[in-house]
Formats: sequence, structure tokens, C-alpha cells
Amino acid sequence: MTDMSQSERAADQLAAEHGAGDPFAAAIRATRMAMIVTDARQSDNPIIFANDAFLALTGYAREEVIGRNCRFLQGPDTDPAQVDRIRKAIAESEDVAVDILNYRKDGTTFWNALYLSPVRGKAGEIAYFFASQLNVSDKKRVEFERDDIREQLEAAVAARTADLSQALEQKTALLHEVDHRVKNNLQLISSLLLLQNRRVTDPAVKSSLRGMLERVSAIATVHRRLFQSDDVERFDVSAFVRDLVGDMMGSARRDDIKVRLDLERIDVAASKAAPLALVISELFSNALRHGFPPESGTGGEIFVGINRKDSEFRIEIADTGVGVENSASSGGFGLTIVQLLCQQLKARSETTPADPGTRVVVYLPVNGVHH
Amino acid sequence: MYERPLDVLIVEDEVLLATELEFLLEEVGCHSVGLAMNSNEAVTMANDLRPDLALVDVHLQDGPTGVEVARTIHDKCGGVALFMTANVKRLPDDFAGACGVIGKPYSEHGVKSALSYLTICLREGQAPGLPPIGLTLAPAYAERWGVNVQPQAC
Repeated sequence: MTDMSQSERAADQLAAEHGAGDPFAAAIRATRMAMIVTDARQSDNPIIFANDAFLALTGYAREEVIGRNCRFLQGPDTDPAQVDRIRKAIAESEDVAVDILNYRKDGTTFWNALYLSPVRGKAGEIAYFFASQLNVSDKKRVEFERDDIREQLEAAVAARTADLSQALEQKTALLHEVDHRVKNNLQLISSLLLLQNRRVTDPAVKSSLRGMLERVSAIATVHRRLFQSDDVERFDVSAFVRDLVGDMMGSARRDDIKVRLDLERIDVAASKAAPLALVISELFSNALRHGFPPESGTGGEIFVGINRKDSEFRIEIADTGVGVENSASSGGFGLTIVQLLCQQLKARSETTPADPGTRVVVYLPVNGVHH
Repeated sequence: MYERPLDVLIVEDEVLLATELEFLLEEVGCHSVGLAMNSNEAVTMANDLRPDLALVDVHLQDGPTGVEVARTIHDKCGGVALFMTANVKRLPDDFAGACGVIGKPYSEHGVKSALSYLTICLREGQAPGLPPIGLTLAPAYAERWGVNVQPQAC
């Protein structure tokens, strides 16, 4: 065992250089931090000094470690990548700090926060390596537990996200299906009214059917608009008015009536869309049919204005027609609908003579209530 | 090219809708050649009757087969299809060869304007302006008929 004696000689030499009076040597011998020194000048870099803390940590006796390379601390579950880092640091004479799984003499394991550093001789050559070992098993266990919990949480989040995505997909598909059915049914109702209107000859019945058809069309336009936009919660009133007016004027075929629009963009909650649309449809239809009775042969202008003033939306429909006093049957079901729906919308409507014609203004509270 | 009235095939599984649509067609000077309620009937009638225009609902008696009907009419029957559906958002980007779509629920005036507009497009190969509200043209036909496809202000 020449190596052994060589290591013992090196150890003796080190001890002789740092005898009883050396406070640094005394500190290293007595500290609770495990520490070793290896001899870089011997082949395989054997241990030539180990303090009591190191022996206590690893369970070996001093004579079992002196003269051996520290790799005896490694075992089957030691990460080769960390071993490589140590090897590389030694080869390049650099400091290294690694957390590595080590084995005691009795085979039990501990996590070692190893710090290794080269020690240079007087000529600058690498003479020794100094290494300290700190048992960080508790810290590592907490880390591993934390990693486990994180993985479990991540898995739980991923599973929940998948569930939610699927639920959203189903909800979207359902929404499309319902939207489709509502639209088809509205179309069916319109067709029924149109078909019956073709059969009847009584002008009063025809007029009633026309009125109902307009109301259904207004609701249909609302529905088309709501699902065209990306936001199914909000309803763009001005866009609706453009569609409605285009459609009503197109089917009325009254080239003698001009329409003027002054529409600020306002959005209302989707739940208010249908009642508000019916109110506007009713008022516009009144202006068109009662303001300018076909038999009178006079045309004019209908104005629709929408804007926001303070906490109210202001919707104005004014015509230059014959005026309330002169119009035949301007009351009736249509105005009842307007009154009832205004009550529902917490809105108020004012009808005034416009000289010539009639002006109706609906004030709708922005946030659902009048202040 | 179409000096006679436009021959129109209706492909729709709701008879009441189809019946009302026939009236509308006659009112704008088109000629309804028949009603098909499923995809087989539609393709057979398109082959036999060679309509100028086919109004095609996406959902027919045999399922959502209207898209394939439109494609077949375009590819094999030499006709032009126009979708009439409540499912505008689910149409393929190329409209399966159809010239456009009228979204349900449509209004009487909307359909009449669209049919009058398409009659001119088909007869003259040139659009008389922007399509009326309610009618959306397929990009290929908008280009063919010289329509400057810009999103309509709304």
C-alpha cells in the first residue's frame, strides 16, 4: 500500500505545518461543517485530511477515508451529470458547488451541498483541493415535495382547463344550435304571416297582418344583428335602425318620402334589444303610414336621430307629415305597444306637434333607471 | 344571356318557407322550376332542369347537406347557387362555389332586392353597384361581377 503511506506522509506533513498552535487548523478540525482536503499532486487525488464532522456525516472511520478518492461517497442513484461537473471543475482547476446524492457507510443516503475549491502552492501550482460538505437532505425533501405538489397542481389545472375547454365547446355548439333554431322559427313565422296576407282581401285584416309582420321583422333584425356582432351581450341600436329603416322604406316604395338619419353609436344590453327595437319599429311605421297616408299623395321627410345626453339616450323620430290631429287611426294597438314597452324599459316618450308633422322622442336611461 | 325569366330551383326542407319564396320569385319576375327538400332531389333536379339559380338552405331533410349540393351544382350542373341559411358563419370560405348568401331570417324586401340584384349580375356579368343589405357575395363572384368588396359601414 504505497499510496496509503504516501497519503499518510502527506497528511503528516500537512499536520506538521499546521500544528496545535494554528487557529485556522483548529477551527477546521472542530467545525460542525464536514470538510476534507485532497492531495492534487498524487494520482487520483486522494483524501489526506478529513475532519470529525465529515466522519460523523459519512459514518466512516478516519483510516477508512485517508488515501481514497472521494468517489466512494457515490452510489447507484447519484446523478452522473453532477459527478461530471465535479470532474470537469477539478480538471480545469475551478471552484464548483453542486447538490449531489451521497451514500454513508451503512448505505443510507443524504443530499450533499458540496463546495470544492483548488488550493495553490507557493509556486502557483495546484497543491490541494479543499471540499466542504453540508447535509441538505431536509431542504431537498422540501424541494422535492414542492416539486411534487407543483406537478400535481399543474396536472390538476391542465385537467380542469381541458374540462372547461370542452364545456365551452359544447356551450358554443349549443348556442349556435339555438341561434339557428330561433332564426329558422322567426323565418317560419314571417312566412306564415306573408302567406296569410296573400290569402285575405279585407283591407283591415291585411293591415293587421302587415303590422304583425313588421313587428316580427323587427325582432328578426335584432336577432340577426345580435349574432353578427362578436359581443352577444350588447346591442348596437344605430346599426339596427339603419337595417330597419332600409328594409321598411324599401318595402314601402314611397319615393316621395326622404329619410334623414343622425345616428350616434349607442349600445344597450341585449335584454333590452327586442323591446327597444319594437318601440322604434312602431314609431317609424307610424310616421311612415299615418304621417304620410298614401291617399293624401304628399311626401316629405322622416328624421331619425339617436344620441346620448348625460345619463339618457335620446331617440327622436320626427316626420313632416299630416300631424297627429289630422292622421286617421294613429292610436290603437301600435301605440299601446309603445306605451307598454316604454314602461318595461323605464323609458318615457313625448309626442309633440312638429309643425308640420309630429315629433316623438323616447328617453331611455343609460343604466336602466332615471336619475 | 338571360333574356327570358331566370329559372330558379328552391332547395329547402321547410315547405311553408319554400311556398312563400315561390311567390316572392314570381313577384320579381323569376320563374320557379321546382322545390327540392333533400340533397338527392336537389342534385337530380339541378341536372334535369338546369336552373340559372338555385336557392340552397344548408340544413335539408337529410342533414347539413346543402353545402355539398351547392358545390355539385357549381361543379357539374353549370348553375349558380345562392345560400339561404341561418348558419352564415359556418359556410366554407370559398362558399362551396355559391355566389353568396342571404342570412335567415330575411325580410320580404331583402330577398326581393337580392334577387333583382342577382338577376342583373347574371344577365350582364356585371353588378349594378354594391349588393343590397342582407346579401353577402362570395369573394370570387364579387370579383367576377366587379364589386368593390369593402366591408359595409354599419
